[in-house]
Amino acid sequence: MNIANFSQMLSFIKPELAVSVTILVVVVFDLIFNKNKKIIPYIALLGIVVTGYYVIQQYALSGTAFPTSGKYGMVTVDAFASFFKMIVLIATLCIVIFSYYSDEIIKTQGRLGEYYTLIFGMVLGMFVMISASDLILIYLSMELMSLSSYVLAGFTKLRTRNSEAALKYLIYGAISSGLMLFGISLVYGMTGTTNLYQLNAALQGADVNLYTVGFALILIFAGIGYKISAAPFHFWTPDVYEGAPISITAYLSVASKAAGFALLMRFLKTTFVTYVDPHGSWQLFNIFDWQTLLILISVLTMTLGNFAALWQDNLKRMLAYSSIAHAGYMLLGVLVLTNKGVSAVMFYFFVYLIMNLGAFFVVMIIANKIGSENIDDYDGLGYSSPFLGVTFGIFLVSLTGLPPTAGFIGKLNLFVALLDKQMVVVAVIAVINSVVSLYYYIRVLKHMFLTKRDEKISIPVPMPAFLFILVMATTTIFFGIYFTPITSWAQNAAAILHF
Amino acid sequence: MSLYDVIFYLFALVTLVSAFMVVTTKNIVHAAFYLLFTFFGVAGIYALLGADFIAVVQLMVYVGGILVLILFGVMLTNKITNVQIRSGSTNLVAAAVVIGIFAGALLTMMLNTRWLVNPGKTLITTIPQIGSLLVKQYVLIFELLGILLLIALVGAASIARKEEREK
Amino acid sequence: MIHVSLTHYLVVSAFLFSFGLYGVVTRKNAVMVLMGIELILNSANINFVAFSKFGNYGLNGQIMALFVIILAAAEAAIALAIVLNIYKTFAHVDVDKINNLKE
Repeated sequence: MNIANFSQMLSFIKPELAVSVTILVVVVFDLIFNKNKKIIPYIALLGIVVTGYYVIQQYALSGTAFPTSGKYGMVTVDAFASFFKMIVLIATLCIVIFSYYSDEIIKTQGRLGEYYTLIFGMVLGMFVMISASDLILIYLSMELMSLSSYVLAGFTKLRTRNSEAALKYLIYGAISSGLMLFGISLVYGMTGTTNLYQLNAALQGADVNLYTVGFALILIFAGIGYKISAAPFHFWTPDVYEGAPISITAYLSVASKAAGFALLMRFLKTTFVTYVDPHGSWQLFNIFDWQTLLILISVLTMTLGNFAALWQDNLKRMLAYSSIAHAGYMLLGVLVLTNKGVSAVMFYFFVYLIMNLGAFFVVMIIANKIGSENIDDYDGLGYSSPFLGVTFGIFLVSLTGLPPTAGFIGKLNLFVALLDKQMVVVAVIAVINSVVSLYYYIRVLKHMFLTKRDEKISIPVPMPAFLFILVMATTTIFFGIYFTPITSWAQNAAAILHF
Repeated sequence: MSLYDVIFYLFALVTLVSAFMVVTTKNIVHAAFYLLFTFFGVAGIYALLGADFIAVVQLMVYVGGILVLILFGVMLTNKITNVQIRSGSTNLVAAAVVIGIFAGALLTMMLNTRWLVNPGKTLITTIPQIGSLLVKQYVLIFELLGILLLIALVGAASIARKEEREK
Repeated sequence: MIHVSLTHYLVVSAFLFSFGLYGVVTRKNAVMVLMGIELILNSANINFVAFSKFGNYGLNGQIMALFVIILAAAEAAIALAIVLNIYKTFAHVDVDKINNLKE
């Protein structure tokens, strides 16, 4: 490895370098300007802008870097990675705005430097996760993301449920990553490599024991399934989402899920696909019946999420179950095992980012004032603050997947990908699930608009927050009507690098 | 049976017996001390496998670092001076049966899989090679771990520190 | 008696993994659960080092074991900080009793 080669490889990880520099700058500024923490969110914004510049610059780049042996490296850069990095960055940008208005974070103003250090630690972990094409790097980046998020989940320490969320997240997370590591060690023993491209080649040679590979893969998928909160590894989600500070809940529900899905799709496609036919369908190694397994997980995930959400009175908890259900919907795009399915998932993520963060932001603004996320405390809020009521309604309708919102187009894309593969039964189950979800989303609106309340509370919405909600709501509607640019962006980026 | 074999069985016995005690003993302080022997036995196994550097790191980081942390955790979260530390467990039998079946399956799998075995010479010392791998092929992971340790430091300090009252 | 081979090491690792899993499943004390997790990580590490020697894959397996040890240290630090924080709020570290987050 000579110097010229090395500097060329560095150009593959420019966004990651920018995030690392941001981490260091935040730590140093936190030490120097100990008294004045006001400046730190602006440093974070600057870091996001710079990183975004490099991510966009990387969009046309395609290739792998940092090989350990052979020609394929442990970092893969392609349009797919850039798309998901952009999703993570937009989510991070929203979270900085969230944190600026969140009462919970304002109360811990003295530790703002640590807060942003950990947020960018998560971003770095997710970036590497999205790009990683080596099992050991996948494991380490997942741990980097997890360690930061464990702390963030218990960050404010204001209420007992905060520490509880951190502990639960930590225990389950550490167990699942331990299992994953054991699986990785078995794969290494059978093939002598952890590089995904070399694994693909090694699996082509028939000299592997299928049971052992299957067992190892189940352990590895347990680790990934935990991150995207797919059943049966979803049980931590409601507790952690309810207990964590609301800005972190919103972040976990979008960004860490996006990174998990990116990892899952890259892992599946790079390691197990033998060839892709002209229609974009993948042929996979016959280790399990992949499709049946994924269908089971997907249907289980969305059904459990939706039915558990029916009984929730706490809005954060309800949105947690709804995010489990959405993971199930997005798995629909994975289980078809086609390029079209991947682009449907990517489109859905873009939409999910906007509508889910919008919904969480409204919940946060309301919680700042009334100090509760309980559905009974939302009675009559639709009249006292019509702006919040209407925009919240838009986000919820979009989460249900009704026209004319972007959520509808997202679901439509997923169903079209399903019907292309003649999976009508799965599509019908998904539609029934959406109908079930309508009940609990509308229930919130019923409380807001149809239940009267004696005293009148007005919820103050600061001007920038007002604008933020307005932008989110209009984009939700806008992309429900004019969705072509995002669809074509997702389709272009869906061509995951494959040799 | 050569000396190598005798030493292997010795270390394997130490590791497994103490690991069994870690997960079955009722006394949390005893569990922490049994863990010491497990880590020590694993270090011996690394040494037998020709991984001298890993064995030393295992002793220094696990025994010297992680175990001390765990002992601190035990002592800070329990008043060991006057109360007998008990940690309750439930459904022991059911768990033991399930894990027993699982362990059986795992063992069968380990014994029946055709692992790739290629004879090769054991290096006298691995330190130069590991050093050069760390700063060449694995430099990315090496640097990433540096940041991970920084994050862990910041995170642990941030969450364990006593909350100063808001002014 | 047979000469010590790869299988011997794998058997040790399989037992260690199962013990770790047993500890994780049965223990209620958070610190004890963490000990079980450490056992699982150690068993994976034995695998890495043993495969790397007997498969003659070079030193990659040892490097991975090294990374995992470093990571385990970071994880233990965070974990014990969180446990300490829990103890300050709940005055005990029993995982099953920490259950305010239920509907």
